[in-house]
Amino acid sequence: MDTLNELMGGFAAAMTWQNLLFAFLGCLLGTIIGVLPGIGPVAGVALLIPLTLNLDATGAIIMLCAIFYGTAYGGTITSVLLNTPGEAASAITTIDGYAMTKIGKAGAALTIAAVGSFVGGTVATIGLVAAAKPLGELGLLVGPPEFFALMVVGISLLVALAGKSMVKAVISGALGLLIAMVGIDPVAGAPRFTFGMDRLLDGVSFVAVIVGVFGLSELLSYRKDTATPIVHAPNLRSLLPTRGEWRRSAPAMARGTGIGFGLGLIPGMTGSVSSLLAYGAEKKFSRHRNELGKGAIEGVAGPETANNSHANAALIPLFTLGIPASPTIAVLMGAFLQQGLTPGPTLFTEHSEIAWAIIASLFIGNLLLLLLNVPLVGLWTSILRVPSSILTALILLFMVIGAYTINFSVFDVFVMIGFGLLGLALRHLDIPLAPMVLTLVLGPLMERSLRESLEISQGDFSIFTSRPISAVLIGLGLLIVFSPLLKLRKPKALNEDPET
Amino acid sequence: MKTRARIAAALAAASLIALTGCGANAGATNAPAGDFPKKGKTIDLVVAFSSGGAVDTAARLIQPILEKELGTNVEVINKPGAGGQIGYTQLTSAKPDGYTIGATGSPSVVVSPLDPARGAKYTRDSFQPLGRQVIDPTVIAVQPDSPYKTLKELLDAAKASPKSLTASTTGLQTGEHFALAQIQENTSSEFAPVHFSEGASQATTAFLGKHVDVLVANVSDVTDLTKQGKARVLGVMTSERAPSLPDVPTFKEAGYDLEAGTVRGYSAPAGLPDDVAKKLEAAIKTAIEDPTVKEKMSALGLQTSYLSGEDYKQFWAGQEEDFKKVLPLVQKTN
Amino acid sequence: MTTKSVAIAPKSTVRVAPSVLAGIGAFAAVGAYVLVASIDLGLWTSLGPGAGLFPFAMGAVLVAMSVVWLIQELRKPSQTAEGVDRGLVLAVVLSLVVLAAVLDLIGFQLGMFLFLMYHLKLRGRRGWPSSLITALAGSVGAFYAFNYGLNVSLPVSAFPLLNTIGL
Repeated sequence: MDTLNELMGGFAAAMTWQNLLFAFLGCLLGTIIGVLPGIGPVAGVALLIPLTLNLDATGAIIMLCAIFYGTAYGGTITSVLLNTPGEAASAITTIDGYAMTKIGKAGAALTIAAVGSFVGGTVATIGLVAAAKPLGELGLLVGPPEFFALMVVGISLLVALAGKSMVKAVISGALGLLIAMVGIDPVAGAPRFTFGMDRLLDGVSFVAVIVGVFGLSELLSYRKDTATPIVHAPNLRSLLPTRGEWRRSAPAMARGTGIGFGLGLIPGMTGSVSSLLAYGAEKKFSRHRNELGKGAIEGVAGPETANNSHANAALIPLFTLGIPASPTIAVLMGAFLQQGLTPGPTLFTEHSEIAWAIIASLFIGNLLLLLLNVPLVGLWTSILRVPSSILTALILLFMVIGAYTINFSVFDVFVMIGFGLLGLALRHLDIPLAPMVLTLVLGPLMERSLRESLEISQGDFSIFTSRPISAVLIGLGLLIVFSPLLKLRKPKALNEDPET
Repeated sequence: MKTRARIAAALAAASLIALTGCGANAGATNAPAGDFPKKGKTIDLVVAFSSGGAVDTAARLIQPILEKELGTNVEVINKPGAGGQIGYTQLTSAKPDGYTIGATGSPSVVVSPLDPARGAKYTRDSFQPLGRQVIDPTVIAVQPDSPYKTLKELLDAAKASPKSLTASTTGLQTGEHFALAQIQENTSSEFAPVHFSEGASQATTAFLGKHVDVLVANVSDVTDLTKQGKARVLGVMTSERAPSLPDVPTFKEAGYDLEAGTVRGYSAPAGLPDDVAKKLEAAIKTAIEDPTVKEKMSALGLQTSYLSGEDYKQFWAGQEEDFKKVLPLVQKTN
Repeated sequence: MTTKSVAIAPKSTVRVAPSVLAGIGAFAAVGAYVLVASIDLGLWTSLGPGAGLFPFAMGAVLVAMSVVWLIQELRKPSQTAEGVDRGLVLAVVLSLVVLAAVLDLIGFQLGMFLFLMYHLKLRGRRGWPSSLITALAGSVGAFYAFNYGLNVSLPVSAFPLLNTIGL
C-alpha cells in the first residue's frame, strides 16, 4: 500500500507539464538516436547530458531515462525497413522484420514491435516498483566489502561477454579505472596522475571521455561516407496487424518479457543477449517455428519485447543497489551522480520523491513511445533520408557543444578529441570499449569500497571471503572469469555489438 | 536536394527550440538594484559532501530563501570526496564573481590545506567567508543491541583491546577523525577508524547495516536515528547537553573533558567585488536567521549561531591555530 | 610474386602486425609508469590503505595483460582490423583541433559557422543554400537557443571588434 501511495505521488510529480515535456523530448531524441545508425545509445545519452545540466534533478533524469529506453524503440525501425539495425539490441530483428518488409508487411511488423516494446517495458517497470522497497531494505546488508564484490561480479560478467578476447577486455577495464583515478584521491586527498595540471584535479570529464571514445571514434572509423539509403514509409493503413498476427504475437511477447526481465537484472548482460535468446526461444517453442526467417511475426515480437523488457529491468539493479548493468546504464548513472543523486539503497530514503517521479515517468514514457512511434513512422524514415554529410556535421556540432558546456572550457573539447583518437586506436586493436565505460563510472566507487573494506578489516584482505555475501559474489566473479565450464559460446552477432 | 536540406535544418532547429522551452522557469521576483545577480543566471552552491548529510540539508534549507533574496536561481551542487577537499577545490578555483558560493565546514576546510600530504590547491586565504550558520557537536553512538551501555564501558573496551572496534568518520582529518584522535590521546582508547570520505550519509548507511560498530557523527545526524531506535547515543562532546538529546550525557559528565564538533558556514572564492560580497552576505544572514529555517534546524537538533562574514573569518583563523596543534594526531607517520 | 605468396601463406609465416605490437608496448608502458608512480603515492600508510594501492593493482593488471597478449600474438597473430579512412580522420580531427583552438578567440558563432561550412560545403559538397541554412542554424541558432533558452553560455569572441557586433 505504501508503495502504491508513493507511486501515485510520483505520478503527480511526473505529470507536471514540464516533466511531461522532458519525457516527451527524451522519447523523441531517444528514438532519433535509435534510428540513426551512426550513433549508439552510449554516446547518445552521454552527448545529451550537458543539455540537462541546468535542469532540476527530476526533469534531467526523466529526460535521460526517456532517451535511454527511447533508443530501444528506435533501433527497431531501421532493422525492419532497411535491414540495418539502428542499435545492436535490434540486430536479430532484421531477419524476420526485413523479410516482412519484403512481403509488404512492414507496417504490421513495426506495430507489433512497438506494442511488444510497450508490454515488455511496462511489465519490467512494474517489477521495478515491486522490487524497489524490499531490495532497498536489503541494500543495508550491502556493506563496503559486499559492494566491492558486487562490482567485481558485474565487471567480470561484462569482461567475459565482451569481444573475442578476455585479455583485451581486461585491458579495457583497467584503462577505464586508470582514467577514473586522475584527479584528487577521493579518500586521502592527494593529487594523482594530474601531471601538475590544475585542470585535471577534478578528474577527466566523464562526458568528454565517453563522447570521445564512443561517439567521435565511431564517426572516425567510418570507411566511406555511405550513400543515403532509399526508404519508403509504409502507408498508415497497412500498419494494423491482422487478428492472426496478434494471436501469434501474444505468446512470443510473454516469453520475450520473461527473458528480458530475467537477464536485465544481471549486471553485465546487454540487451542484445536478451533479444538473441528470445529469438532462440521462438525457434524452440513457437508453433510457427518453421516460418522463422521467412517473415514470421514471432521473430519480431519476441526479440523486440525482450529488448525493452531488458532495458527497463536493467534499471532495477541501478535504482536499488547502485550497480549499472550495462554501459548505457553506466552513463545514466554518471548523470545521476552529476545531479547529486547516488543511485542505490539510499536513493529511496533520501530522495524518495525524485526516485518515484522517475519511476512514474517510465510508465508515461513507455506509453508516449507507443503512441509516438507508429504514427510517426513517416518522420523517422525521413530522418534516414537526411544526407550523411549533414548528419555528420550536426553530430560533430553536438559533440563540441556537449564537451564544452560540461565545464565551460575548451580543455574538455581537446579531451574529447584525444579520447576520440584513443577510441579509434582501441577499435583498430579490436579492444572492446564497453568494460572501459563501466569501470570509468564504477572506478571511484570501487576504489572507495575497497579502501573502506580494508579499513574495517585493518588491512586483512580476507574480509572479502569471510563475509558470506561477498564470499559468494567473489566466488561467482572468479567462476565467471576462469571456469572453462562457463565458456559461453557467444553468437557471432554479439561480437559486432558496440555495447559489449 | 533542397527538401532534404530543409528537413535537416528544420530538425536541428526544432530540437534546439524544443529544448529552449526547458530552461524557462526562472522564478525571479524583486531583482536587486545592482547588476548582481543577473536575472536568470544560476548561482551554484557547492556542497563538498554527498546529499543527505547535515551540510547538504542545511544548504537545501537556506536555498529557497537565498533565491527569494537574490532574485535568481540558486542550485545546490554536491561535489563529495576526499573528506570535502574535492568540493573545496572546485569552490576556490571558481571565478570570484558571486555565481559560485559554497558550504564550508571546519575542521575539514581548515585542516585540509595544512597537511602537505594532501596537496590541497587552496589555503585559508582562498576563501571569503560570508557567514557562519551553526555549530554541530560530535556524538558517539553504538548499535541499539550493543553490549556497551555507557560511554565508559565503550571507552574501556576500546582501551582493553585497541582497534577491536571500528568507528566511522566522514573522511581523513575531518571532525570525526579529530574527535577519535582526541579520545585516543586523552584516554588511550583506540578505535579503528573507517573513513567514509563522501560524508555523513554514507557513514550512517554503513552503521545501519552494522558494517561499523561505532558511529562518530554530529548531533544532527543522530537525532532522527535515536527517535527511531536505530542508534544508542552514548555521549555528546560539548559542555552542555544537546537540547534534542536530553538523555545523553556529555563527555564531561562522564568524566572526560573533551569537546569537539563541526562548524558550518558559507563562503565564496576570495576576491569578490565588494558590492557582490555585501549582497551575498546580507542574503545569507537573512536566510540563516529566517524563523522557518531556524525551526527546521532545531528539529534536526541544531541551534543556529550566526556570525557575520568578518567574524566568521576571525573564528576561522582561530580554529586554524587550534587545529595546527592537534594535526599530528591525524597525520600519517612515515 | 613474393608478396602474394606471403599473403596466402600458412599462418606460421605471418608476423605480428606492427600496430598491434605498438599497442601492446603502449599498454605495457602505461602500466609500468602507473606501477612506479603509485609506489610514490604510497601503497599503505599508518592511516590505512594509501592513495597508490588501487592504481598499483591496475598497473600490475595492465602489465600482466600486455604480456599475456604478446604471448598470444606470438603464438597466433590476430588479423588486424581494416585500416581507417585516413583522409576522414585527418579532416575531422584537424578541423576539431582548429575549432577548439580558436573557439575562445573568435567566439562560438563564427567558429562553428566556418567549421560547419567546411564539413558541409567543402567536404560534403553540398549546395550553397543547404550548407548555409544548416551552418547558420547550427552556429547562430544554437548560440541563441543555448544562451537564452537553456541559460548555457557558449563562448563569445575575445576580439572587441567581433564582440561588439554580437559574435
